[in-house]
Amino acid sequence: MKLTVNGIEQEIFSPPLTPLLHVLRDELDVTSPKAGCQQGGCGTCTVLIDGEPRRSCLTAVAAVDGSEITTLEGLGEPEQLSPVQAAFHERYAAQCGFCTPGMVVAATALIERKGGPVERDEVLEALGGHYCRCTGYVKIVDAVMAASRGQTGAREDEPETGEEAPVMIPGSPA
Amino acid sequence: MAKHRGRGFATIEYPTGMNQNGDPSQAWIKLKPDGRVDVFSGTVDIGQGSKTVHTQIVADALGVPYDWVTMDNTNTDSSAVCTGTFASRGTFIGGNAVRLAAERVRERIIDIASKELEIDPSDLEIENGEVIAKGAPQKKIGIPDVAGAATYNYGELISGSSTALKPFADVDDSTGQVEIEPHSAISYAACVADVVVDDETGEVVVEKLVQVYDVGRAINPTLVEGQIEGGAIMGLGLGLTENSYPYYPSPENRGGEFGAYLGPALHDLPELDNVIIENPSEDGPFGAKAIGEMANNAQPPAIATAIFDAVGVWVTEMPATPERVLEALEAKREPRRDGKRVIFDEHISVRTVSSNGGEGFLGVDA
Ligand code: FES
Ligand code: FES
Repeated sequence: MKLTVNGIEQEIFSPPLTPLLHVLRDELDVTSPKAGCQQGGCGTCTVLIDGEPRRSCLTAVAAVDGSEITTLEGLGEPEQLSPVQAAFHERYAAQCGFCTPGMVVAATALIERKGGPVERDEVLEALGGHYCRCTGYVKIVDAVMAASRGQTGAREDEPETGEEAPVMIPGSPA
Repeated sequence: MAKHRGRGFATIEYPTGMNQNGDPSQAWIKLKPDGRVDVFSGTVDIGQGSKTVHTQIVADALGVPYDWVTMDNTNTDSSAVCTGTFASRGTFIGGNAVRLAAERVRERIIDIASKELEIDPSDLEIENGEVIAKGAPQKKIGIPDVAGAATYNYGELISGSSTALKPFADVDDSTGQVEIEPHSAISYAACVADVVVDDETGEVVVEKLVQVYDVGRAINPTLVEGQIEGGAIMGLGLGLTENSYPYYPSPENRGGEFGAYLGPALHDLPELDNVIIENPSEDGPFGAKAIGEMANNAQPPAIATAIFDAVGVWVTEMPATPERVLEALEAKREPRRDGKRVIFDEHISVRTVSSNGGEGFLGVDA
């Protein structure tokens, strides 16, 4: 079997019914997809299979033989984040980060499919099956909507015009 | 059969950190020869942002830019001791440890700068990475030069360490009193919940949560807000869906699978209105108290009172699942005693007495 993972062609030696998640993590050492529930319920194992977000824990590798797989690692580099990654970073959309790989990958697919600004209910629809224990989802929804509008790269906490500049402790990053 | 709206609120007080067992947090800080700052603190960042907040505290206490500070809490072997990341103690207790350690480093920096500048330490202050003579700002030396001089001229490693520890609060058996307060600072919070209750299905939907949190001082307001939002959704889960009894706390019996435990998902997200109140604590780093574990305490009781407001029944056990709401509604409609239908209603029950007021019965005083 063969897979193209983040642009690199790989020969796969795992047994054919091995979940794609374990092929990625254990055989190829691509560890951003997480083994959250391994029963399709949490979404943190989501990867793009030929551009479509899929749960890698429920996908037998043989079923996707020859496909293109994109994971979080394939979206950006630490110094050059993808728009969704940058928005998550700037808008504090990750806390422990366990759900983040699946959220970012699914949001990327949503924005690509839409090709323009996505609305709140579209985010709810696309990420509704992704579970986050930490953030309360608010900043994740904000980040996805901002990324779809190209609103990244700006300092998020600059006071809006008319708003009084907050008192900062010197040395604070904010 | 209809949907009913209700509003309820709850207030809580929360003892910041957990001190009654004498639990320490330690920090150790050293300067590299180029003036950059390495911090080794035991507090582990599990996503709540303590790494960022502690870095801010060190930068501010030392008077250096934020990006000069590296927080190394990568392993528990070489790190200083911290009792743990729990009980809302990261900012208050762990933060105090790094603040006190940074203050000691600051003193050493000023001592060495004083030798270099030949100015008394009491006339020096640190601002934005430079040691400056008070009232004569042209006389100054950068911290990189101070650290270089310490390393190569004076043979010294500029460092400082500290432990934040509130001693064990012993209870005097004869009086039942403690000599020291077991807590360090009390935080306060309030939550208002707007709910819709369906009296046919028992389903409760939380439409809005207004949340007001006193955090002493919001060292990083965005991270505080992140804790409030995350706590709101956890509190929503505790109020409506999440239940680990009868298994908790026995790990052998915990729910077998992910799907057996219901936490809120995106579609359950209510409108959130968050307010941060700064009511500084005297002992906290820069007046901070806490916002961690306390953030999910006020929602369940607020939701319970909102349900009462909506349909007039109390759900006394959380979470308020549809079954429990229906049970409470049923109990109100048809009260039962020992599982049997026993009706007493003072408005409809006819008071029955004997015609002669009970006279003539043995043992009855007429
Ligand atoms: S690990 Fe695949 S959905 Fe949870
Ligand atoms: S950030 Fe922790 S689960 Fe989403």
